[in-house]
This record gives sequence, C-alpha cells and structure tokens, in this order.
Amino acid sequence: MADWISGLEAIVGRPYVLTHPKALKTYAQDGYTLSAGIPRAVVLPGNAEEARRAVQHLHHHGIPVVARGAGTSLSGGAIPTPDAVVMHFSRMRTIHHIDWENRIVQVDPGVVNAEVSRAIEPHGYFYAPDPSSQQACTIGGNFAENSGGPHCLKYGVTVNHIVMADVILANGDLVRVGNLAGDPEGLDWLGALVGSEGTLGIAVQLWLRMTASPKHSRTLAALFDEVSEASRAVSDVISAGIVPAALEMMDHLAVQAVERGAYPVGYPPDLAAVLLIELDGDPLTVEADVNAVMEIMAHHRVRQIREAQSVAERQLWWANRKTAFGAMGLISPNYYVQDGVIPRHLLPDALAFIDDTAHRYDIRIANVFHAGDGNLHPLLLYNGSDSREVERVQEAGLDILAYCVKQGGSITGEHGIGLEKLDAMRFQFSEAELAAHNALKRVFDPDGRLNPGKLLPTPGRCIDYRPF
Amino acid sequence: MITMTLDQCVHCGLCLSSCPTYQQTGVEMESPRGRLVLLELWTKDSEPHDAVEAQWLDDCLDCRACEAVCPAHVPTGHLVEEWRGHQAGSTPSLRLMRLLTFFLGSSKGLAWFQRFARWSQHPLGRFLVRRWLTWWPDSPARLQRGLPAHINRRLSRHRIASDPPQSHTAFLFVGCVMDTVYADTNQHTADLLRMAGFRVTVDPRQRCCGALHWHNGQPAQAQTWAQENIEAFEASGASVIVVNAAGCLSTLREYPELLRGTPWEARARHFSAAVRDALEVLSDEPLPHLSEQPTPVTIHDACHHVHAQGIFKESRILLQRAGYRIQEMANSTRCCGSAGIYNLTHPEMSQALLRDKIEGIPHGVDIISAANPGCLLHIQQGLVTQGKHVLAEHPIDLVWRAYRTAGYLPSMTTKEGGTARG
Ligand SMILES: Cc1cc2nc3c(=O)[nH]c(=O)nc-3n(C[C@H](O)[C@H](O)[C@H](O)COP(=O)(O)OP(=O)(O)OC[C@H]3O[C@@H](n4cnc5c(N)ncnc54)[C@H](O)[C@@H]3O)c2cc1C
Ligand code: SF4
Ligand code: SF4
Repeated sequence: MADWISGLEAIVGRPYVLTHPKALKTYAQDGYTLSAGIPRAVVLPGNAEEARRAVQHLHHHGIPVVARGAGTSLSGGAIPTPDAVVMHFSRMRTIHHIDWENRIVQVDPGVVNAEVSRAIEPHGYFYAPDPSSQQACTIGGNFAENSGGPHCLKYGVTVNHIVMADVILANGDLVRVGNLAGDPEGLDWLGALVGSEGTLGIAVQLWLRMTASPKHSRTLAALFDEVSEASRAVSDVISAGIVPAALEMMDHLAVQAVERGAYPVGYPPDLAAVLLIELDGDPLTVEADVNAVMEIMAHHRVRQIREAQSVAERQLWWANRKTAFGAMGLISPNYYVQDGVIPRHLLPDALAFIDDTAHRYDIRIANVFHAGDGNLHPLLLYNGSDSREVERVQEAGLDILAYCVKQGGSITGEHGIGLEKLDAMRFQFSEAELAAHNALKRVFDPDGRLNPGKLLPTPGRCIDYRPF
Repeated sequence: MITMTLDQCVHCGLCLSSCPTYQQTGVEMESPRGRLVLLELWTKDSEPHDAVEAQWLDDCLDCRACEAVCPAHVPTGHLVEEWRGHQAGSTPSLRLMRLLTFFLGSSKGLAWFQRFARWSQHPLGRFLVRRWLTWWPDSPARLQRGLPAHINRRLSRHRIASDPPQSHTAFLFVGCVMDTVYADTNQHTADLLRMAGFRVTVDPRQRCCGALHWHNGQPAQAQTWAQENIEAFEASGASVIVVNAAGCLSTLREYPELLRGTPWEARARHFSAAVRDALEVLSDEPLPHLSEQPTPVTIHDACHHVHAQGIFKESRILLQRAGYRIQEMANSTRCCGSAGIYNLTHPEMSQALLRDKIEGIPHGVDIISAANPGCLLHIQQGLVTQGKHVLAEHPIDLVWRAYRTAGYLPSMTTKEGGTARG
C-alpha cells in the first residue's frame, strides 16, 4: 500500500480512509450530474487537528484535497479531480457551544444547516441562511458556497452570518479569521474565504450569528394565470419599498413537479405561476405590508390569494417549495439547474427569454426561484442517456447565463461556479479581473492543491472529467 | 436484475441526513444515494463484486426514512430489498431464516416459540439459552432480556373469543411475535375495539405476515402465507383488518406488490385496502377523555409507521385521550436498530442505533411507547442491559390499562383471567 495512505491511516484511523474502488465511485459526484471524477481516496477526519494533520500530510506528498460536506453542491464543487483526495466532514458534526450572551453558535463544519436552527429555535432564535437543501447541506458547504435561501432576501446570505472561522491552509497551517464581535479588523480575510468554494482554505470550525425569531409572521400564496403578471407583481412589491422575509416564485412546470412530490399542497394543476410571500416583523407593520401586497396582487390579475392558516400549513408550503429541485426527478430523468441573477425589474423579460430559449433548443425548462432578489433558477430538463439533448441543454444554459450578464446581472446567485460555470466566468470577468482572482488564489495556495480545477478557469483546461 | 427504476434519483442528497446508517458511519456508501450508486454498479458494472460492497448494501435497515423525504420518490429501501431477494443464500441471515420458517410457519411452531420464550425467562432456561446459542453472536441471548415480564401460556389466536360476524366486524390480525410474546396486547386490542363498538373475529388459520421472509430473500414463502391470509380474511366476512404491529401493517398493505403478476394480485389489492392500524382505527373512534395522569410517556415512532405509512399523530391522540402526558424524545422517528432480524444479523450497527435511541429518552420519563414487537423487544433489551428503570410498552397496552383503571373495561372477554401486564 502506498506510503501516503498508511500515513493518512495513522492520522485518522484505518476505517476512516476509504480506498475500495466502489467506495470511491460513490464519491464521484455531488448534486451536479453532468460531470464526475473518481478520487484517489477519501479521508474522514474526526476533529480539526486530524483534518489539519491530514492536509499537511497530503501537502507533503503533493496530493490535492477536495473538501466535501453533504455533496449537495449544484455546480460540481465537491466533484474531485481524479488525482485528489476527498476530505469528507460527515464525522465532524457537533454543535460545540451556544453563547447566548453574544448570540453566537460554534459548530463543526459537518453540522447540517437545519440542525443549527433546531438547536436554538426553542429559545427564540434561528440561523437565517436557509438554502432549500438545508435539511442535508452542511455549514462547511454553506461557508464555501456563500449559500443563500428564500429568507436571505431580508436577512442576508451566509457571509453576513459567519463571524469567525478556523481555516486550514494548503500547507496544513491553521489560521483563525474574523472575530467574535463580527467586525473585520484590517483586510476582511473571512469575507474572501466565504464563497471561495474550498479553493483557498478548508473550514474546520465556524462561529455563526443567531438571529432573533420575528415576533409575527404571515405567509401568502398568490396564484396567477400568467407568468408575466406574477413577475410584474414581484417588481411592484419591491419598488413599493416592502421587504418581505421571502418572495419566491414557481411556474407551471415546477408546480406540476412539486404537486407530485413528497409535500403536495393542492395547487390547481392549471396554474401558470405561484408566488410565495412571507412578511414578518412587528404585528402592525406586517398587517400594513400584507394589505399593500394584497393590493398589488389584485392589480396584476391574481386568481386567488391564500394565507397559511397554521404553522403546520406554513411549514408544508415551504417544504413543498424547498423540495422542488428534487421533485424534478418525477417529470424528467435529469435536470440541470442554473443560478443566474438579473436586476429585478427585468424579471418579466428574463422569463420570456428563458421560455424562448426552451423553444429554440427544443427542451423543457421549469422555473423555481428567489424572485425577490432576482435570482433565477431555470431547471433545464433532460435525459442523460440522450447525448444530443445533453449538449443542447449545456448550450441553452450558457445562453441564459450570457443573457443575465448582458442585462447587468451575474452568472451565479448562490450555487457557486464549481466546474459547471467555469466557461461562463469569461462572460462575467475580463482577463485582468481573472488574473487578479488567480493572484489571490496563489497567495493562499501557491501549488494549486485545494480543490483544483474549480472556480477559476485556467487557460487550456486539461483535466479529464467525464460523464459517469 | 433490479427491475425498479434507479434513474429517478437526481443525486440531490436530501435523503442523507435522514438515513440512520449514514448518520452512524458518515460514509457515502452507507447512505441512500450511495446505495443507489452501488446498486447501479452492481447491475451494470462488469467488475466483480465483493463481500464489502454487499455489506454496504445489506446494512440498509429498510427503515424507509429516505423514501419518506425523497422529493423524487425513489424507493431506495425497496430497491435494496429487491437486491437482497436476489442474493438469497449469500447474506448471513439464511441460517436464521430456516429456523424462523419452522417457528413462524404454523400454530404449532408458534406455540413452541412461545414456550421457548417463557422458558428462557427461568434462571435455568436463561442459562441454557446462553449455552445453546453460542454459535450465533450473543445477540439472541441479549434479545431475550427484552422479553416482557409476563408471557402468556396460550397463543392469542386461541385465547380471544370471536364474535359472530356482522357488519362493523374487525378481523384481528394477531401476527407471530405478537401472538406469542405479546399475546396480551392482542387481547387488549380486541377489548378496545369492542369498547369502540366493533365486533371482533380472530381466525386461527391466519399466518405470519411474511415480512421477515420477504425482506430476507425468501419471497416464495411470504407469498404462500399471504395467500392464506387473504383466504382467511375473505372467509371471515369482516370489513376491516386491524393490525397492531407496525411491521406487519406495512407488509399486509404491500401484498399487491408481493403478489404482483400472480393470479392473486386483484384479491391482494382488495385485502390491502381493508388493512388498518389499530391506532388509526381507535384514534378515529370517540373513546372517552380521561383526566391527566402524572406519569409522562415518551414515544418512539416505528419506521413502518412513520416512514412507510405516515402514521405519527395517532398514538399521540390516543395516549393523550387516555390521560397520558407526552414528553417528546429527540429523534423519535429515527430507527431503533431492531428492523426485523437486523439486530441479529448486524449486531454492531443495531446496538449503536439503540444507544442513540435510549440516550434520546427525556430525563424523568419511565415509559417509552412503541407500537411494534421488534422495537419493543429491542429497546427493552437495551434498557435492561444499561440498567435503566424505563419500560418499553405498546401504546395499546398503555391505553387499555388507563381505561381499565378508570373502570371502562371490566374483564369482559378475557378467558384466562387478568393479565400481569394489564
Ligand atoms: C435540492 C437542492 C436545493 C438547493 N438549494 C439551494 C439554495 O436555496 N441556496 C443555495 O445557496 N444553495 C442551494 N443548493 C446548493 C447546495 O446545497 C449548497 O451549495 C450547499 O451550501 C452545499 O453544501 P454541502 O454541505 O452539500 O457542500 P458540498 O456539496 O459537499 O460542497 C460544496 C463546496 O464546498 C466545499 N466545502 C465543503 N465543505 C467545506 C469546508 N469545510 N471547508 C471548505 N470548503 C468546503 C466543497 O469543496 C465544494 O466546493 C441546493 C442544492 C440542492 C441539491
Ligand atoms: S434518493 Fe431521492 S433524496 Fe436521495 S439523492 Fe436521490 S433523489 Fe435525492
Ligand atoms: S431504508 Fe433506511 S437504512 Fe436503508 S437507505 Fe433508506 S434510510 Fe438508509
């Protein structure tokens, strides 16, 4: 057995180094299924020190490391290059300390997002970033992707909620970035690391902000017969100065899928679009906001507005919305979700463009997205065994991203660049800007050992990724 | 080989956190998504398969927690079960299955099973169990510790008197382990059904539901028993089949799948449509509200209730109505590790899950309710081993005891006098 493997085993214990060929194949993908890569080995550290020593050890042997949380990334962030070792954080999932006075929760990187809220909710707090994958995705993954969620419209995304982190650098050094006060001193290193997709450092301990639960909240579902009216209603809500806690949209095809999924709520099958709107705060403001929203909806020929009548009903509506991507499996063998952002007032145009793209490439596209912040999620449906359709889907995807950039938006709202959007980085950034990115990368990781081949396009990409 | 569709999985990973074996091991191969990859490799890959891979698949508890949360309705538990069916003879459970076919296969076998269970509680019997069963890891001996303090002398099927059939008649499905070790619980179910206005019939020809055989690579045996159960129900004239064991409930409802493609399929569908859980039936009936008792109860939700059938609130409604104060435990819906004969075939994983389950019991609670014989035996065994003064009891027994204490249930139908557990 290779030296470096026995070395790893000595650090984390034998059962926690995987080399069986079939085991490695189960680590070949994450939530992005247009690509795959089989790692050399998988290592599961039990604590921060083991993780640090493992990274140091691999560094000595010149072996790249790809961190993995729950593998729910939608951009292939956790797909390893074939020569890399995957560091899986599933064993590190303890909530270490809840500091009620400073409202900080200290967690391992493998803690599941929803567990954090579950631990503090009984005391009137919650952890605000709520990606739709929150029942499974980890805080380490959220850190790396700077994840958002429906409720980030009002409360902000991950970078606003991590105040401090212990991070392992490429050579195995452990550094602490940020501070408990939550104000960066000097350059904001933490800000640079959040969203760096595991390419600058690996988080082994994180300190999260808790947010006080709103006193009062109301959830509405507005049912529309026309997508364009629904999207105009969104623009109007925002321009009226209302800041909903969440403002989400699903179109006809998406509603068809979720209604067949694990949490059907009984949306009429002929619906063109549904808007989910949540308003929270003190009861008087909420009351006023609800009335204003109702008026705007009426203005846009809403068919019906429902209000969640109980906590259980509200939770059901959100579960229905949050499992939408997975429910695509019920209407298509595969899907490719995009993450482009557009200025909110262009929502009606963007949806028309997406619809047009679907026709041009002869594919089906469902839309489920964070309407309130203009973060689109077109779901391009395809059959993985039809290679021509796969190509059409990839091209259609690039078209949509190019459109977003042209309209003054961006290629990713929250799912990251990963492998998936490497080519699209060139739409967004000039060569000079990309060079600046690369310069920063070299400061942290001069030898390119941390999650190589992700996030930053390298000229003449030659890594051998192949479909599974 | 695997006939069900594997490509419905979109690899979203939302099932990971619900899977007990992934929680325990942390490795992707022991997760639902990983198992689907392994199954796909097993069917398509030309590379040879080895025992290690088989173990990752075979570690699946078939608890269905992943199926309940999967947005694409991928039937991972079922798929692994189907795979297991094709591996018959190579999984470690086979030796045990032969023994179980004898014990569970007839009233006579069941009577022997009951006798053994009773004997094993004598000091001498306990000693012999340890001596005899040395060939198997110490799990059966351990399981013996989980037996209830009192085991009846007769099978419940022979004990419970049947009412003459009329409309509103319930066919009481007595099961195998329930019929022997938990015979009293069957009696209590009949009593409560009568209190709720049902007539009860118990056909002694009914068979084990077949779950253990079906789930452990012997579907043919399970099919034969299924047919006999269908015949018994059809002959009874009853309108509803009432079951008080979560595992049996799930299996009886899946008879159409078990008998798919056979001439029995249509009858199986008719049968499964009539199957209802005792907790469902009783929580729908207007049983009287009793005033609250001081003893708190916590609830373990059997996998085959909560994940496979969506039964969750029923036990809570019933227990609360009978005056119990419910104090919820952490992870009440996570598998306790019993899972059919899993606790015998996979002692390590099973014990790890059991430790977590027992740790979740809130401080100061002395009763944990569980509506499945496998869970009851397994959890009680863990409690005894850890020296905890907590009892695992079937919610039906708890509810029966409350109504009986309150004077609602005279010892009306018990042929054999009072019961120690009651
Ligand atoms: C159904 C579904 C819905 C989703 N909805 C949303 C949504 O609403 N909003 C949203 O933002 N995202 C969403 N996502 C995407 C995904 O869940 C997030 O990107 C999430 O943060 C990934 O977490 P993970 O634990 O699965 O990380 P992984 O997928 O395992 O890894 C993601 C990236 O993080 C890196 N990484 C993991 N752990 C660490 C660590 N400790 N240190 C450094 N780097 C690390 C990996 O190398 C990789 O590059 C969704 C995904 C799915 C499947
Ligand atoms: S089994 Fe279901 S929940 Fe699990 S990864 Fe596949 S689609 Fe997602
Ligand atoms: S049935 Fe249970 S043990 Fe098996 S994969 Fe699903 S959740 Fe895991």
